[in-house]
Amino acid sequence: MNINSKKIVPYFLVSPYIIYFLIFIAFPVVFSVVLTFHKWNIISPMQYTGLTNYVHLIHDEFFLKSLGNTLIFLVIHIPLQIIIALFLAEILNQHIKFRGFFRAAFFLPVIVSGVVVTILWQQLYGFDTGLLNRILIFLGLGRVGWLVNPSMAMPSIAIMATWKNVGLYIILFLVGLQTVPKNYYEAADLEGATHWQKFKSITLPMINPTIFMVVVLSTIGGFSLFIEPYIMTGGGPLNSTLSAVLYIYKQGFFYYHMGYSATLGLFFAVLILGVVMFQKKFIEKDK
Amino acid sequence: MIKWWVNIVFLVFFSLFQISCGSRGERNPNHLIYWSSNNTQEIEFARYIVNGWNKKNPSETVSFQPVPEGQSSEEIILAAVVGKTTPDIYSNMWQGDVEDYAHAGVLVALDTLKGFKDFIYSRCDSNVVKEVTSPDGHIYQVPWKINPIMLMYNKKIIHHLGLKNPPQTYSQFDSASEKFKDENIDKDGYVDRWFGYSEVLVTWWQRFFDFYPLYLAASGGAPLVKDYKAAFDNEYAVEVFSFLRNLYANDYFAKERLSTRQDIFLSGTIATRFTGPWEISHANKFKPKGFEFNFTHMPVPDNHKGPVYTYCDPKNIVIFKTCPNAQLAWDFIKNMIEEKNDLMFLKMTNQIPRRKNLETDSLFSDYFKDNPKMIEFARQAKYVKGTDPYPNLTEVFDIISQEYEACVIYGKKSPQKAIDDAAKQVNLLYMK
Amino acid sequence: MKRIIFYIFLCLCALVFLYPFIWMLLASLSPENEIGALTFLPTSLSLNSYAQMLSKIPITRAFINSMFVSSMVTLGVLVFGSMVGYALSRLEFRGRNLIFFIVIFTMTLPFQITLIPQYILMVKFGWVDTYWALIVPGLMNALGIILFRQYFKSIPQDLIDAARIDGCGDLQIIFRILWPNSLPALVTVGILTFMTSWNDVLWPLIVIRNDHLMTMPQLVTLFAVGGAAESQLGVKLAAATLLALPIVIAYLFFQKYFIQSMASTGIKE
Repeated sequence: MNINSKKIVPYFLVSPYIIYFLIFIAFPVVFSVVLTFHKWNIISPMQYTGLTNYVHLIHDEFFLKSLGNTLIFLVIHIPLQIIIALFLAEILNQHIKFRGFFRAAFFLPVIVSGVVVTILWQQLYGFDTGLLNRILIFLGLGRVGWLVNPSMAMPSIAIMATWKNVGLYIILFLVGLQTVPKNYYEAADLEGATHWQKFKSITLPMINPTIFMVVVLSTIGGFSLFIEPYIMTGGGPLNSTLSAVLYIYKQGFFYYHMGYSATLGLFFAVLILGVVMFQKKFIEKDK
Repeated sequence: MIKWWVNIVFLVFFSLFQISCGSRGERNPNHLIYWSSNNTQEIEFARYIVNGWNKKNPSETVSFQPVPEGQSSEEIILAAVVGKTTPDIYSNMWQGDVEDYAHAGVLVALDTLKGFKDFIYSRCDSNVVKEVTSPDGHIYQVPWKINPIMLMYNKKIIHHLGLKNPPQTYSQFDSASEKFKDENIDKDGYVDRWFGYSEVLVTWWQRFFDFYPLYLAASGGAPLVKDYKAAFDNEYAVEVFSFLRNLYANDYFAKERLSTRQDIFLSGTIATRFTGPWEISHANKFKPKGFEFNFTHMPVPDNHKGPVYTYCDPKNIVIFKTCPNAQLAWDFIKNMIEEKNDLMFLKMTNQIPRRKNLETDSLFSDYFKDNPKMIEFARQAKYVKGTDPYPNLTEVFDIISQEYEACVIYGKKSPQKAIDDAAKQVNLLYMK
Repeated sequence: MKRIIFYIFLCLCALVFLYPFIWMLLASLSPENEIGALTFLPTSLSLNSYAQMLSKIPITRAFINSMFVSSMVTLGVLVFGSMVGYALSRLEFRGRNLIFFIVIFTMTLPFQITLIPQYILMVKFGWVDTYWALIVPGLMNALGIILFRQYFKSIPQDLIDAARIDGCGDLQIIFRILWPNSLPALVTVGILTFMTSWNDVLWPLIVIRNDHLMTMPQLVTLFAVGGAAESQLGVKLAAATLLALPIVIAYLFFQKYFIQSMASTGIKE
């Protein structure tokens, strides 16, 4: 093989990706921005509309509702996730038998399709015949309108999402916990520290990066919420479970407002990037 | 290594090649493709029509298939339009969708075809023809079949409540509901049987079975949309919302979704239902012994005068512009809807063809003798309304459904405010 | 004593995560009218829900579609990912850093912005309602590239040098030398890609309308949401159970690999 072809080799190797990137990433991003200035329903020709989509965006109450819903979801989901995952990871980090079994059990919901989890929990949350309410009645408490009460619907989805994903974060926290040098704990034991003190001063700071990662991943997950509200509630009741992506989907593939849908997509993408960067500054600063 | 490069380049060009090869190439102008719905009886009818036609016209044949299965036939048609793989003739198009496709320029203007105008005026009432005429003056659809929504009632229950006739007005409906509720409160204070039921769904088409027929009944067939503006912000819509809201607030209608382990009407769990003629054969097949039912018009406000209209869920026939021979397509359609074949359709599918004088025409009298319940629908067929000839109707119904949920189901808004908000949003929609 | 309470508590926790699935399986096997009252065991087992579901939706076809699409995508990601990962980790060339940044950029780009334009591309290519639309956009994965790059960096240079002396070209190096020595990376990327592709519903919902081409999760979703199930719980649960089955079976055998793969998504940070 001569030297010339050697020089070209890397470019051959990378070229499929470059072509892919240009067609499926770069062009869509540019076209997305262009689309936000037009009105288009796929079957008719595109119409230039200037800033109309953006103006509409600001006045759109469903859009604001979807932002609010996402916030409610994150505010419940993220702390719940961290507390439960960290707690269970701490337990698993001790010397226990059958750790593999417990780990596998907690992790099972993570790999199962969100569709399965949603259909399953839709039944569990049923008002009359759902398992949860039947247990509540058995305990002498009243029924809860998990999915039919507009104030409960999004929290219910947040709880389900926590149940589904906590296994993954347990694993991540386990990895993080195991990086804490044992002698730190030994030194603290010598000074007579309690378990809680050890946890607060040694464990928490050391796993800060992991906590940050959990927050970021959960945030991205929250903004990507689609299949759960789509199957469970269709966005209701009273649009309390209308998520960002569900609204984009509805505008684009139910009403075929391609231009407006692209505007929503652009906005949410920028928002997510902004939030993640903000979290990076805010949480990582806490070292 | 060279092989890889070649493969990749080939892949890229192959896909680019596919873009240019969007069209189907030359079509034979003497052979047409017809899509029917995928309702079993309609498929049978289509087969009957197509076979008959092909026998009589061996040089100008038609082949048919049911619309491909998907989430909904509307989505399949849209995908076909987008992918330019539309059939020549399609007979399951919801009247409300036609305007969107006409706007996009994918439908043939039928009034430009020879023999269309004369035939259509001889088959249909002039108000029907007006209903399907687009704002640009052209006609893009052939009115084919309707399924009017009426009030189905359990004869025994009505009799048991001491009523000579099923309720005709809102107050009659309310008082019958109250009586029925009183008898059906169980020991825990929960109601377990209701006078009526409508699915508590926010899906846009659910309104075809509650709000929209009631609105048409109350208003004498008034439009929802006119001149690209909301036309429903009137006292009729408010009265309908009020009436429905009351039904849910008083627990005359069940607020939670009743799961259908078996048909809730046939089991007596509900006494009435807003539904169409398709219910008849289902009910006859599954009803328990001694069960009797019949149909009457939708309830109207107490001070209502004149005939009672309703929604008829019209499905019409269209010709796509991709058709190589529109005149031939029209001749085929004309054959499909001429009198004898309309009768065949009625017999095979129990759906009402949208033609005039259905109940007086002697050709149909035998059928109605054998199917007496259908007479109610034939009578109602004179006073039905489909949809207004404007685009984006799905969104209009969706907007109304959102307000419906807030006002009627959750009682969070007054009927007046809900209608006002809905009208505002619809106007905003058409302004964009 | 404290230990026993400890273990009981852990078992209860495990039950919280496992029992819903057991309930789902049992409910799908019980007669329709019992599902509303089911807590532990049904009085009788019945395959009725499954029979009804099979007659209503082409689920075996959907299963085959999912297997086909996910396998193709996984293959593509493994092949192309290692190609780019190799180039980025072991070859020197101009623009290497630029490409690396592009890969990172792709990974951090939220999908919400590319969703609509990618659909429009599918329309323009004529790929709507074809396997192309399901497979091609998934053939490259930035995370896969990053993972391969990271792993390939750790392969000793002598191994590669020895292969070069033997006259191997770069492609041969990748597939004959690197792959056999990178099984952990292959397994990780393979499992991650296969799972993500299998579980993806949003994209198939957008590009596939014809139910002969639908993927399994998509078909079950539409079945649960649409009217075909006629509000019968058992049938929906049967569909959900069937959908869960393939991955759960794979999980039972390869659980270690699943867990390791998902854990390494965190390491990338």
